[in-house]
Amino acid sequence: MNYLIPLLIFVPLVSGVGVLLAGNRSKAASSVGVAAAVLTLLLSALLAVQVYVSPTVSGLGSILPRAIMSPDVLQFSLPISSGNYDIRWRLVFGADGISALLVLLTGIVGCITILLATRQIQSRLASYIGLLLVTIAMLMGVFLAMDLVSFYVFFEAVLIPLILLINGWGNGPEPMVASKKFLLFTLAGSIPMVIGLIALAMSPVNIGEGAISRPSTISLLELSEYASAAVAQGSTSVAGSQSVWIVWLLLLGFGIKLAILPLHSWLPTTYAAAHPNTTALVASVVAKLGLYGIIRIVIPLAPMALAEQAQFVIGGLGAIAIVYGALLALAQNDMRLVLAYSSISHVGFITLGLMSLTSEGLAGATLQMFNHGLITASMFWILAMLEERRGRISLSLEDRGMAAQYPKLAVLMVFFVLAGAGLPGLNGFVGEVLAMTGMMRVSGTLVAIAVLGTLLGAWYGLRIVQRLLFGSAGSPEGHASKHEGDLHTIEWAPLAAVALLCLVIGIVPSRVMALFQSDTDRLAKVTEPMTQQAHPNFDTLISSVTPAIER
Amino acid sequence: MDTLQVIKSSASHLLPALILLIGGSVLMCASVFMRTAVAYNVHGLRNRFAIISLALLIAAIVASFVRGTPELGPMDVGLFRFDGSAIAAERLAFLGGLILILMSWSTAPARHLPEYYGCLLIILSAIPIVGASNDLVSLFLGLELVSIPTYVLLGIVKTDNHGYESAIKYFMLSAFASCFFLLGVSYLYGVSGSTNLTVIQSDYQLGKRLMSLGLVLVMCGLSFRITAVPFHFYAPDVFDGTSVTLAGVMSYLPKVAGFVALIRIVGTDGLGSGASQTVIPVLLVCAGLTMCVGNVMAFAQNNLRRLLAYSSVAHTGYLLLALVALLRQDASSNILFSYLAAYAAMTLGLFACLGEIEAAGGKSHLVGDLSGMFYRRPAASIGLSVALISLIGLPLTAGFWAKFIVFVGVVADRRPDSYSLWMGVLMAVNAVVAAGYYWRLLSTLYERSDAQIPLRVFRPSLFVAYTICTVLTVVWFFIPAIM
Repeated sequence: MNYLIPLLIFVPLVSGVGVLLAGNRSKAASSVGVAAAVLTLLLSALLAVQVYVSPTVSGLGSILPRAIMSPDVLQFSLPISSGNYDIRWRLVFGADGISALLVLLTGIVGCITILLATRQIQSRLASYIGLLLVTIAMLMGVFLAMDLVSFYVFFEAVLIPLILLINGWGNGPEPMVASKKFLLFTLAGSIPMVIGLIALAMSPVNIGEGAISRPSTISLLELSEYASAAVAQGSTSVAGSQSVWIVWLLLLGFGIKLAILPLHSWLPTTYAAAHPNTTALVASVVAKLGLYGIIRIVIPLAPMALAEQAQFVIGGLGAIAIVYGALLALAQNDMRLVLAYSSISHVGFITLGLMSLTSEGLAGATLQMFNHGLITASMFWILAMLEERRGRISLSLEDRGMAAQYPKLAVLMVFFVLAGAGLPGLNGFVGEVLAMTGMMRVSGTLVAIAVLGTLLGAWYGLRIVQRLLFGSAGSPEGHASKHEGDLHTIEWAPLAAVALLCLVIGIVPSRVMALFQSDTDRLAKVTEPMTQQAHPNFDTLISSVTPAIER
Repeated sequence: MDTLQVIKSSASHLLPALILLIGGSVLMCASVFMRTAVAYNVHGLRNRFAIISLALLIAAIVASFVRGTPELGPMDVGLFRFDGSAIAAERLAFLGGLILILMSWSTAPARHLPEYYGCLLIILSAIPIVGASNDLVSLFLGLELVSIPTYVLLGIVKTDNHGYESAIKYFMLSAFASCFFLLGVSYLYGVSGSTNLTVIQSDYQLGKRLMSLGLVLVMCGLSFRITAVPFHFYAPDVFDGTSVTLAGVMSYLPKVAGFVALIRIVGTDGLGSGASQTVIPVLLVCAGLTMCVGNVMAFAQNNLRRLLAYSSVAHTGYLLLALVALLRQDASSNILFSYLAAYAAMTLGLFACLGEIEAAGGKSHLVGDLSGMFYRRPAASIGLSVALISLIGLPLTAGFWAKFIVFVGVVADRRPDSYSLWMGVLMAVNAVVAAGYYWRLLSTLYERSDAQIPLRVFRPSLFVAYTICTVLTVVWFFIPAIM
């Protein structure tokens, strides 16, 4: 029984609803909201520490939470029976290294977003903070859920406060259209996804020769045990069985959430319409939900079907997204869109790492989820500060030489651009290199495409720096607004802290990765035999290089 | 045991329904003496009749609490059978009745108050009767007790030629559907030699062809009540031609009666292999068509009433899938009842909000009429938003569990050669299409429009009605067990 887990969900939820109900007239409401956010950050850090120091547990499945909460009170029976088993829904929450990392990310990004909101949001501040807190609570729920129903409930529930945030405070063109697109795209993925989730819980697994019956369960832990058992017994092809469709349904849902290439068009519209401060949370955490779903559900529970059917399709789409996103980012002039497309490009690296299904790839992708979350959130925060001072930021030639006006902001921006471009010594480098190393063991072609993307990534990053910060002497033309001049302490201090964190991860990545390394290795133990079995011929690089090394 | 004795013993169990039935009949008789009173004190009359009806309903609820859950005895193979379905049907009727009477309080036609409430109470009383019947005769009696007062209601609430047309249309088509039902009943009777449903259900297992034919015909007849495609054509016209409150009645009460009757006829033990081979494909096709037609047509509508009619058709499609899960014994009948309860809360809540907007002087006939309603009538708009979010099926509302459980029930089928995964995917696609038009309504509510005149007339009864619905919608999400 772990009390941090319910606290992590209920502290932001209760305080968020409270702040919402207190309304915008009371002055204290927003301070309470900020306090709750700081508390949530502390709790998430505590959980991460707890998971970090707790010994590795052993068990059959590939998902083994090191902190778990599943009270007997929270058990419901659904009016459904399957093969004479009544389905019971027992709520299970827990955290392994991967969950803890993302919970920490949510805590950090949520807390800073709320802190910065106090300066940036002028109208209905308390409601904004309240909705942000509710969103954070739902996100925590997704990352901590260890059964399919809770996972799905929180996964869907994130939408409601988010839609309100995009709609109510969006200052781009047509926030209504953007939020409609966001809602419909996400629902178009997630409602079919629920069919996949249910079928996953209900369908018999293939073990050995025929399909054997197992009790239907919605617990991720038990499901992962069955899946591992099936792999251990050397189960063979899955083609033609239901699990193929299950995997595609799940990937549709998660793919739309992570804006995989042909399904990405909600992302630029939404990022352009929402307030950049909101976008920071959306881009860094909400977009991770899809990736988290893949690593939490698809990889451990349906490794065979994934390796056989989707590994190269999704991996290839990820590789193309890296280049395509980078090219589009180069072509945009609206700063919001540049960051949106760069986000698509960076998420491509994570997808690539996940789809390698190797231990390096999975570890790199997990680390990169955290890194990308920090970097992209910081870029959007910086953009929010810039927009507050200069209005909508365009990269066309007028807005030049801001480094002279806003030196602190310029330093931070250069730092995060470099981190995003994957400069060695900073965190982006570690994750991307690991992800590509993992993929190298599977397909050299995809890595070749991805490497091209890193080049383009540096290009558009430096284009931002060059167009905005440097150039002719700063011309203080522009918009009279509430905040002039360089960053206030409350603005630069959190960002500096994030920058420090990025630096630490870049210098001693192994310490940070110790948090989740055992979990990703356990996943890889299931998936690596699968990918070798599914694609014996794709492994050309290993088969050609390994003998050479051995000699 | 002779029939009279059975009826006597059932009377105590059926007391809640009898209270409503007798009360309704007495109210109808009162209309004869009330004619002259109409002219001078409309508000007093409105309050009086609404309070009498509410009192009768509360008396019925109290009676059902006092009675408790009766034990299933040997007596219960006769005309009536008091099992879980009967209790659930009764509760659904009470829930709907409470909200509908509150909605009617200020919207009932002033010239026909006694008839209006009399008919409403009789319809409400018929649902427990349908729910408890264990015999084709009592079942048909209950179903006609739903439809005949409905003709009267549609007739007296008419506003214009549209109203007359819809009333006539409903009458003709309903009679037609009853014929189908009776034809099917005659087959069921002819094959099994009994009108008793327990006997008939045990005969399903024998797998006689004629039995399945009879079953399909009965289902055709009931499809009209639940507005399943291809028997849905009346719904948009009727919703369009009548008042908001009555549209609420039409979207809920006949549907409950129809589904409860379906559950009674197929029984809770599932069909035998012979009958299910014929019936399940028919139902699946019907469900698929109902969902698709309902949602596609609703998507294309600008007329709010017709949109809601088609959305009601689409929900029937989801419920039919739940029925299939029931037939396959993947789910208990609670799956249907909990969906209907959630449906009651969200749909009746929606109609109550629209009713309040109309009562306050706004219009709610076209989607565009709701433009900027949030700034004119915030409370009703929030109620509408919750109802719409629930209809989309997002979490934090009861609609989420309703849809989710149907999904689970549909996909729970573990036979390898089944289409259930596909039906689930079809339903998912439909839910997305539905989200599209519900979202259009939602965004219309919040868009900035020129007409910014606040609507200030306050109708407590309607406010209470949609507050109940909104609260139930949200509470049921957190405590799904009590649904």
